[in-house]
Amino acid sequence: MILVPITYKGGIYRHEEIVNLIEDLGGYIVQKHIIAQEVVLQSFVPKDDVELIRAIAKPLTGEVIDSPLVGTEVAVVSMSLEIHHLPHPSCDIAEYIRRIGGKTNMVGLARGPGKRIATLNDEERDVINEHDMAVFLMGNFESCIEHKMPALLRGVEVPVVVCGGPDKEVLRRIVSPPVDGYVGNVGRFMRRTKESEELNKLDEIIAEIIRVLTKRREEIANDPLSVSPARLMDVIKEHIPAIHGVTSPTPLTVQMAGLRVKLPFDTFAGELRRTEIEDGITIGDITEVTPSRMRDYILVRVRPFSETNTVI
Amino acid sequence: MQAIEYFEVECPEPLGGAYYRQITNDVFLDHNLLRVIQKMHVYIDPRVPIFIAVGILKKITTRVRVQDIANVNPQEGKMTLVMSDETYLAPMLRIFWERFGKDHVDQPDRFTVILYNVKVDPREVEEMVIADPSASLFRDLIYALRCTAPEGFRVRREVYGNDRFTFVASEDTLDHDADELVRQKFALIEKEA
Repeated sequence: MILVPITYKGGIYRHEEIVNLIEDLGGYIVQKHIIAQEVVLQSFVPKDDVELIRAIAKPLTGEVIDSPLVGTEVAVVSMSLEIHHLPHPSCDIAEYIRRIGGKTNMVGLARGPGKRIATLNDEERDVINEHDMAVFLMGNFESCIEHKMPALLRGVEVPVVVCGGPDKEVLRRIVSPPVDGYVGNVGRFMRRTKESEELNKLDEIIAEIIRVLTKRREEIANDPLSVSPARLMDVIKEHIPAIHGVTSPTPLTVQMAGLRVKLPFDTFAGELRRTEIEDGITIGDITEVTPSRMRDYILVRVRPFSETNTVI
Repeated sequence: MQAIEYFEVECPEPLGGAYYRQITNDVFLDHNLLRVIQKMHVYIDPRVPIFIAVGILKKITTRVRVQDIANVNPQEGKMTLVMSDETYLAPMLRIFWERFGKDHVDQPDRFTVILYNVKVDPREVEEMVIADPSASLFRDLIYALRCTAPEGFRVRREVYGNDRFTFVASEDTLDHDADELVRQKFALIEKEA
């Protein structure tokens, strides 16, 4: 069964029917937002049943949208969290990624600004590496980007998209080591992105992110995961009741090949490892449960089939 | 920057310069500073690295008097001030308290201030200066330039006086060449006069 990421948007009235439908079809709801009278469900559903959900949602005036970034966690790396970079462009871009289903975390570097002093510390590097990919938002000057990138990319293992003021071709030439995606003509700016030209630029960033993540998905498909992270989410929800007491917007953050569990590592790691998924196979058997560098959360990385010889 | 007589951004990287022109425009527009600037020249060289902004301010008299924000109605034994703008109410009250004493100043509601038994001419009250927004202009201007300059440029030097301002910032220690550059940029502005 191939699961595809979608977003359902509709009124709060009778939305439980859609929730039940997705669950009955064998899909997973990754995130559920209720905003005033509107419900937004970010979910994975079987590919063949998307039309069925669409048909059932129609009388409820619900809308089903393809959201390729559902179930991904993207690090938006801003050179600092100062007025120079926030709220524009860092927040604008992060928000735009969230709109199509991605979960974003903003990483403000302690020593991002400046050409000579720019560097990445170990905590920042590890936090970035916990994501599915990172979007680096650079400034406007060619010479600065060229000088800074080697230091800022040191140790970063996840796919990277670099956004910067110079043209795309220039970025491709100056960024060293080469990264997976480039978006030119979007450096530092101090105004809200609302003109159509600026929105097109944001769309271009999204397209580049989707391209990079699709490539990553294909790589994962070559050596499939032992369990789908979305399924793991359901198992944890069922067996570890403490997760329901977490007030964070996403107590369980689904990634492409893992899961962030927002519970303290020392208290819950053992219980998590012992939790049975199916037929005596526990979470500890087919995943690596490690402490996250983000607060004291738990990071679960699902091991691939080649390592575990199991797919459930 | 239509309101400015002369505005140039000079940069060895043309595209970077164009972005900084836009950034400077947006920041100054946001901070409502375009109306006070007559001429401005920004020079950025990321290779040095250095950021210089020099400019000439418009001559503005922005002193706010009581009559600008209130109507003064003299009555028997008291004077009633009907406020039309609350922005400078607090500094006005502070000045009244100092001059007349708290016993003689009453504020029954947001839009009314009453002065009891004060021995001054209502005209004089109307003419009292209560605020000078240009006093904080330097602070606002420097803040705007800090927002404009690249963030890594943390070594700064600011000069303000005689309706002129200079802002020099860099990542490294500022050396004497910066003074020469400032002089050159001022010469450019003055040539345009």
